[in-house]
Amino acid sequence: MTLHRRLEELFQNVLGDDDITLRDSTTAQDVEQWDSFAHINLMCAVEEEFNVVFPGNLFAEFADIGELKRYLETNASQPGSATRRD
Amino acid sequence: MGLVEADEVPSAAYCLKLARAHLESGAFEQACRWACAVVNAGDDFASWQAASAILRKSGANLALRAKVALLGSYTTAQFGPMLQLAAGRLGIRIDLYESEYGQYRQEVLDPASGMYQFAPDFVFLAVHEGDLQLDMYSATPDDDVARELARWTSLWDVITDRSSARILQPTFVQPTQAPMGHLGAKLLGSRYRMLQSLNTRLGDESGERVQLIDCERIASTIGRDRWFDPRYWHMSKQAVALPALPLLARHTASVIGASMGLTRKCLVLDLDNTLWGGVVGEDGFDGIRIGNGPEGEAFSAFQEYVLALKGQGVILAVASKNNLADAQEPFLKVPDMRLGLDDFAYFVASWEPKPNMVRRIAEGLNIGLDSLVFVDDNPAEREIIRRTLPEVDVVTMPTEPAHFPRALGNYLMFESTAFTPEDASRTAQYRARAEIAKVAETAETLDDFYLNLEMEALVAPFDQTNLPRIAQLIGKTNQFNVTTRRHDVAKLRQFMGDPNCLTLYLRLRDRFTDHGLVCVAIANRQADVLDIDTWLMSCRVIGRTVETEMLQHLCEYALANGCTTLRGTYVPTSKNGVVKDLFHNHGFVLDAEHEGETTWLYNITQNGSITNSFIKTIDADGHTP
Repeated sequence: MTLHRRLEELFQNVLGDDDITLRDSTTAQDVEQWDSFAHINLMCAVEEEFNVVFPGNLFAEFADIGELKRYLETNASQPGSATRRD
Repeated sequence: MGLVEADEVPSAAYCLKLARAHLESGAFEQACRWACAVVNAGDDFASWQAASAILRKSGANLALRAKVALLGSYTTAQFGPMLQLAAGRLGIRIDLYESEYGQYRQEVLDPASGMYQFAPDFVFLAVHEGDLQLDMYSATPDDDVARELARWTSLWDVITDRSSARILQPTFVQPTQAPMGHLGAKLLGSRYRMLQSLNTRLGDESGERVQLIDCERIASTIGRDRWFDPRYWHMSKQAVALPALPLLARHTASVIGASMGLTRKCLVLDLDNTLWGGVVGEDGFDGIRIGNGPEGEAFSAFQEYVLALKGQGVILAVASKNNLADAQEPFLKVPDMRLGLDDFAYFVASWEPKPNMVRRIAEGLNIGLDSLVFVDDNPAEREIIRRTLPEVDVVTMPTEPAHFPRALGNYLMFESTAFTPEDASRTAQYRARAEIAKVAETAETLDDFYLNLEMEALVAPFDQTNLPRIAQLIGKTNQFNVTTRRHDVAKLRQFMGDPNCLTLYLRLRDRFTDHGLVCVAIANRQADVLDIDTWLMSCRVIGRTVETEMLQHLCEYALANGCTTLRGTYVPTSKNGVVKDLFHNHGFVLDAEHEGETTWLYNITQNGSITNSFIKTIDADGHTP
């Protein structure tokens, strides 16, 4: 599964909506369910899924999904979470 | 969807796929079942979140129901759905009431609080060590622990007096950092020792009305560094790191389940390669591995664990594919066996299929299949039990015998609350009496509580320094926000420059913490009316009369500037129900209603200024003006 698809599936899981599609230009403003409550859930889920730890306020500072993806491409390790066993 | 070859325990992703497919096709019962199956697949936070959402959408049509109130010293918004999922796995539908973050005392002390109106079956005090008022070192540790203990037991007393809810009290988890180092373990006055002693005392005092959730123990199983992640605390006041919430949810659900009588009674055990190494029918009683060598010691340890469960009241039974004489021989002739034939309430050894044996055990002991837990090293036997007798819980055993005790220890439904039926009815009578006589006042009133906080507020017009925080609150606050108007910084600057516009921010501090800038109001002078355009507050200070304090300042400004009336507007959203009655509760009169939007008037000259005596107003230097 591509990184983009993994991220998209994760967002769908955490935000509870299978119809969410992510583009590189997507920001929190574009996704209705992505409020401050969901934000921290997403941060935790991305950290678990990609085995990264976002330093400081970094997760809040990504301009869009494209920037998050670029960060993960450089910093993430292999998938290992229970969600990906199929 | 293609056919996926499922593991013995289906993966979370597989369960979610099936749950979603069932949900879409309207098969709600199946959707509910597969969502709950995610619990068996591991403690992955994102999967649990997705599953809990599906469970909710499926209507969670489950056999049992319980009303649970979460009263937190930390944010419980994420924990609630996790608890619903973990309980769903046990067949319990949980209806939730959640206090705002940090509101647990107010909810307990205020007899008219939402919690009492909800009439919960269980009150979970979601509190954490950071909320304890214990110093790093005390010269009078006994007094300090006693005082802290009394704070909790008095909350228990109030809840018990005013409701029939059972109380779930977590033990407090030690922080990983210890400024006193190893010395702290020696000194009675160290916070480390006081916290230990507080946990012990909570256990002593809990009695029948309170169940402890031993967070100190379960945090240590995953490591306290993973239990508490300071980043999540600073970001959103999570005192249990989100990845640890599924673990906490499973344990809490098991205690709730045990309180509702869902405890499993009987452990059904296989013999060959489960209680000893090897096959007794082939290797002979003197050829099996038990007691000696690494493998033999591992099986001995497992037998000892099983014996300990028996000591807790779990009934033991055997279901083994063997000749009866062969199966019993080791118990009679092998000295290293820890378990004896006497330890088993029922012993089946034959060549019939295992489901038949398990049924015979249930009938023989006259207990339901739903009281049984099945343990077998053979995955095929586990699978056939799962398929044919779904009421029986099946423990997935690891291939390594050394890990058998841990696998069974991780199975939580032998949890018991030490409630006998007699105890339970005695408690019920006690509660009934308590409810009749409950008019009696409690030690602490809500007013006392507010006064003891020694709150101080600094209220001032917007300024350049505070503008970023103000803009952030206006952009993000959803709950305590009467109009939810998202003004941007440019617009805010415009308000600041307008002589007819009043902008106010409020900083709050109390005896324990500086809460920072937590409340914002913008109001426009329109002839003799001061119209509140924006009024919002951070949810971390809801329930501390800060809103009244802000109204006091609006009244003062209005009077000083020739206004006689305050006008407020409530624009309902999906999230701001908490302020629906805000104006009404402060004596405003409904003026108009249009498509759910309401406007409210408060005549200051007739009714007098709104005042708040619980918060002291201070200026920037900390002095009372």
